[in-house]
Amino acid sequence: MGWAALIQLASALLWINLRLTLTAIAIALPVACLFALGRLSRLPLLYYPLTAYVNVLRSSPLLMIMFWAYYTGPMITGSPASAYMAALIALAAFEAAYFTEIVRAGIQSIATSQRRAALATGLSPAQAARYIILPQALRRMLPSLVTQSIIAFQDSTIASVIGVTDIFQMTNIISAREQRPIALYTGLAAMFFVLCYGLSRAARGLESRMAARVAGGAAP
Amino acid sequence: MPQQIDWSVLWRPPFGEMVVGAVLTTLELSLVSWAFALILGVAIGMARAAPLRAARLLATAYVELFRNIPLLVQLFFVYYVLPRLLPEPLRQGLFRLGWEPASAVLTLALYTSAKIAEHVRSGLNAVGRPVQLGALSTGLTWLQAQRHVVAPLVLRTIVPSLASEFVTVFKSSSLAMTVGVVETSYLTQQLGLQTFHWIEANTMGIAVYLVCAWSVALLMSLVERWSRVPGVLGRRTLP
Repeated sequence: MGWAALIQLASALLWINLRLTLTAIAIALPVACLFALGRLSRLPLLYYPLTAYVNVLRSSPLLMIMFWAYYTGPMITGSPASAYMAALIALAAFEAAYFTEIVRAGIQSIATSQRRAALATGLSPAQAARYIILPQALRRMLPSLVTQSIIAFQDSTIASVIGVTDIFQMTNIISAREQRPIALYTGLAAMFFVLCYGLSRAARGLESRMAARVAGGAAP
Repeated sequence: MPQQIDWSVLWRPPFGEMVVGAVLTTLELSLVSWAFALILGVAIGMARAAPLRAARLLATAYVELFRNIPLLVQLFFVYYVLPRLLPEPLRQGLFRLGWEPASAVLTLALYTSAKIAEHVRSGLNAVGRPVQLGALSTGLTWLQAQRHVVAPLVLRTIVPSLASEFVTVFKSSSLAMTVGVVETSYLTQQLGLQTFHWIEANTMGIAVYLVCAWSVALLMSLVERWSRVPGVLGRRTLP
């Protein structure tokens, strides 16, 4: 296996999997913040559709959502989408549902007294959410968001099933060409392990640092 | 739109029979994997709090290994690479007996057991320690304490987390199509490619998974109610 194959693999990892994951997160996170507020609202027109969205997306396999985006999407919109675009839409929609629940739980963990105090100082409900609730809640939910992002990165390999040439598909291609599946798949697994384990360790470190800071801040 | 919506493709021959078969395969894959995963996961979760350092290290390595590699990569590793490490006749026998569904079940069971082990460990941390010490101080051996005192209590408190893993097994089983198992996702794609009735095919596919997920959620909420430890609040949210 020469340098050419390694460069192909590395560029598939960076240009497809990493870009796919990061773009999907960048789309899903702001959407999830809005959806979480909707899930907490008392307006039935917001609450029920968003609850249904979260429930359906979290109960179906990502693969099925990719099928919808790739095969059915163009039939409805009338314009064909590339496999990458379909995978991006599916992953963003899928992660938005998971992020919504994380953000919702984070907001709910901030005591209502915080909100009442904010409103008492004359902030509007939107301002209270923007300046008081969300900054605290986001900090508290950061570890779960990182964990979910690591899962999203692992899930980005599923895009290969609808024909995106990501690192997994590239490994299949090179494995078929060079007939060295043992080395290639072991290497692929090892690469993911090092990246994801490293990231999750970093997230855990962050969590304990933050727990220490919260504990310190709470002391009189 | 290229053609009219026609739901009858889903039950007209030849697809009607295939849809039923594919759904049954999804159920079979998920339920068998879940049964293995539950046994393995509880054992490994317990081992992570065992009084033996080697057992703890091994169990932790196991959990981290399966958690940090994408399921798709694990599946291909089990399906392609593992048989190549076996001698030739054994390998051929494996494929003759149907290595496709077997490798999918094996991978799903290993992957899910690692996640169950994590839940067992956090349950153990939440409620198990004092109970475990109490059980040990009555003269039970470590294994007896786990078997009669700790496991029943811990398992009953982690029913909600187990429920979500149970749903995840059904979702994860969709990846078995990549090694050629004719389950729901595989048939969804084939139906769409052959008839171009994508809306009908995809609706069928997602409906199967939603019905599975919601049935499991309902079943597990019954289990939760039935197995609730008296005096402990369940998942009930406070107003």
